[in-house]
Amino acid sequence: MIRYLLRRIPAALLVLFVASVAVFFLLRLAPGDPAATLAGPDASNETVEAIRQQLGLDRPLVIQYLLWLGGILTGNPGESYLLHSPISELISNSLLNTLELASGALILAVVGGGIVGYIMGSSRTSWISSALGLLTSLAVAVPTYVSGVLFILIFAVVNRLLPSGGIGPGLADPAIGLQYLLMPAIVLSLPTGATLARFLSASIRQTIDEDFVQTGIAKGLRRSRLMRAHVIPNALPPVITVLGIQIGQLLGGAIIVETIFAWPGIGQLLLQSVIGRDYLLTQGLLMLAVVVFVMVQIVTDVVDAAMDPRIRLERK
Amino acid sequence: MRNAPRNGRLGRRTAAVAAAAVSVALAVSGCVSAVDSQPESTPAAGGILQIVQGADISPSTLMSQNNPNFSINRLVFNSLVELDHKTLEPTPELATEWDLSDDGLTLAFTLREGVTFHDGKAFTSADVIGSIQTLLRDDVPSQLKHVAKKITDMVADDDLHVTLTFSQRMSNMFDLFEMMRIVDVDTVDKLLTGEEFNGTGPFKVDTYTPGQGLELTKNEDYWKDGAPLLDGVEITVVRDSQSMLSSLKSGQSDLALDLAPLDASTLASDQQYEVVQSDAFDSTYYLGSNVSVPLLSDNRVRQAIAYSIDRDRVLQQVLGGVGQTTSLPWSPASPAYDESKANFYDYDIAKAKDLLNEASATGASINVYYDAGFAPNVGLAEIVEFNLTEAGLKPNMMPVQAAEFLDKLRSGGFDGLFMTGHGFGQLNPATLVKGAFPYNADKNASGFDNQEYKDLANAVWTGETGDKVATDALNDFLLDQQFVSDIVNTTHTFSISNKVKGLAWTMLDYIDLDQAYFG
Repeated sequence: MIRYLLRRIPAALLVLFVASVAVFFLLRLAPGDPAATLAGPDASNETVEAIRQQLGLDRPLVIQYLLWLGGILTGNPGESYLLHSPISELISNSLLNTLELASGALILAVVGGGIVGYIMGSSRTSWISSALGLLTSLAVAVPTYVSGVLFILIFAVVNRLLPSGGIGPGLADPAIGLQYLLMPAIVLSLPTGATLARFLSASIRQTIDEDFVQTGIAKGLRRSRLMRAHVIPNALPPVITVLGIQIGQLLGGAIIVETIFAWPGIGQLLLQSVIGRDYLLTQGLLMLAVVVFVMVQIVTDVVDAAMDPRIRLERK
Repeated sequence: MRNAPRNGRLGRRTAAVAAAAVSVALAVSGCVSAVDSQPESTPAAGGILQIVQGADISPSTLMSQNNPNFSINRLVFNSLVELDHKTLEPTPELATEWDLSDDGLTLAFTLREGVTFHDGKAFTSADVIGSIQTLLRDDVPSQLKHVAKKITDMVADDDLHVTLTFSQRMSNMFDLFEMMRIVDVDTVDKLLTGEEFNGTGPFKVDTYTPGQGLELTKNEDYWKDGAPLLDGVEITVVRDSQSMLSSLKSGQSDLALDLAPLDASTLASDQQYEVVQSDAFDSTYYLGSNVSVPLLSDNRVRQAIAYSIDRDRVLQQVLGGVGQTTSLPWSPASPAYDESKANFYDYDIAKAKDLLNEASATGASINVYYDAGFAPNVGLAEIVEFNLTEAGLKPNMMPVQAAEFLDKLRSGGFDGLFMTGHGFGQLNPATLVKGAFPYNADKNASGFDNQEYKDLANAVWTGETGDKVATDALNDFLLDQQFVSDIVNTTHTFSISNKVKGLAWTMLDYIDLDQAYFG
């Protein structure tokens, strides 16, 4: 298994290097000037030029890239142009918030999607499957900016049951913090949970049709035992692969949900940095996304391989 | 929400399901309501005012007028004077008296006694000089730098007296001393990077979380007796206007700054809220022309464009009726405002077509740039596209991001028309024609470099405030040249819960909560 893991590392490092070049230079191709943004409206050329020098933006691009890469490798990705704070600090604060949101959403998606997917896949009552199929289709189809606004309208404006946005005291007061988390986590979990449910139900049905399951049925195995011991373990690997991809999409979806619910996470920070052309902060955030994506893919591959020896052997 | 629309209520079953779900959440979280835990709104002195605004503050632009700083400029800092909203005459703030020499070249300020910064340090004339020096730094932007640059000498006569000498008379001298925040010279570098906010204002910055907001607490040593009444203010950045509206309507916040006009208009029928319009009317939407583009170098084409815009439709459909249509940049509060000329350009497609024919420009293609990240611009763009097409032009609408727009605006890089808003129509007219980018006679976004315009701008600048002859000539010139076609003069809005009383603001729309309270 370790050898299997080690074989993936050079490719991952190459991906990270290519991503760093792409992130740095593509961002510079986008029109807009962070110095002009920082100077605000009606600023003179002298002011913008002075700020550009202060930020080091007057240096050659290659030098800027190497300085940034050196900073990344030594654990100092620099300071945000607009927020005047160390990028590592900004990212870690926002990341914790996003992880809180994403974890909440992931738990809801896995638990909810798992239960619904199991019912859909194993139910012998066709209307239950159809109804749940319709609901999951709806959950996948409705964008989070629509469901988010609806949730706020129903639970915060019309009925003042939950806060409309913000992060609250977080862990300092978990009772309150959980209420701030509830709505955005549900909204974020809907498409992921529904996707998982649909994949799981399809995978369960496919597995039930396999010969070894049909043999078990023919031999009179109890349905619950059959599902627990044979169907679910064989239906799960493709769903776990999908879950890996969905985690990436969940983090991407967090950008919209964070904006709607004013949740100060990575998504909001990225949006703010892109709008303001805060190069260093945007670069740091995009690289973080690439690292997370690469790591999730490696972990997914490893878990797949651990669960299914055929994969391990095939990739040898 | 007292006036929750009846048709917006949930059906019984849905409500039961929703209530059950929330009850489970409340049970899990210990039965404490996050909604109820919002700071209490007490009817007398005290209480924490919750403000939401669409963007984070920008400490490095504190010496200029920049919308995100409207919340903290007057809450944390003071200026030497504030302009009267009707006469634009200076009124005392940190300066109690001033004496301007007859030739307008020497200005002596007497400073208020007993004022301290939040860290306890006494405010003195050195801080006035330090603040001017800060504003003059190359890396510190300010629309009134052109005034400060004319200061040739600054003398601290003693701790409470400072004398400034100018190289020329200027009609907008006091605009500078209203805009310039008085900062502590010892901590100004940390201020500009948002690390330390040491002002003399009614509230101290307790915490600032970049990108998220600020917590302010009452300054117990504030120089104004009995103020402030509030215990504190919390400012939260909520980037989406709709989310700001939800925050206000759900009772999570008390005051929303600059909601998108159409979002604000939804509060009109709700007696729990009020959309307060600032009397400054310092925001004007305009269509600028880059006069170096061959098509737009012809004055007749620019006039045709001015005639083709349906300003009433923009006012009603895009800005919810807040403001007035205009052909000139001035707020009704401005000494240069002339009612007889304010609507010179009516919506007249026939006249627009004639002018385009005369200039052989019918059917010509033109790029129209706008910042698509700002909701009203999108609505404005749709109307402009329709109107220009009606007149016989072929507009190519070019939505761009804010950073690109700002960069191109500053560098004059638009190869066609551009739409956005400008301020400074409410102050002394010289501030607009010498400091605001679209109209700056020395360098503007239109590339309009014209000696006559420079002379007119200088006449307004160096003459008496509100000199009718100078402003008349300037208005006639602007109406004729149309390198900027103003469309609608509107204002900043404060969407506020009715339980908050005593909200005030300066002529720069900096909110003033000295006398604000929950009632």
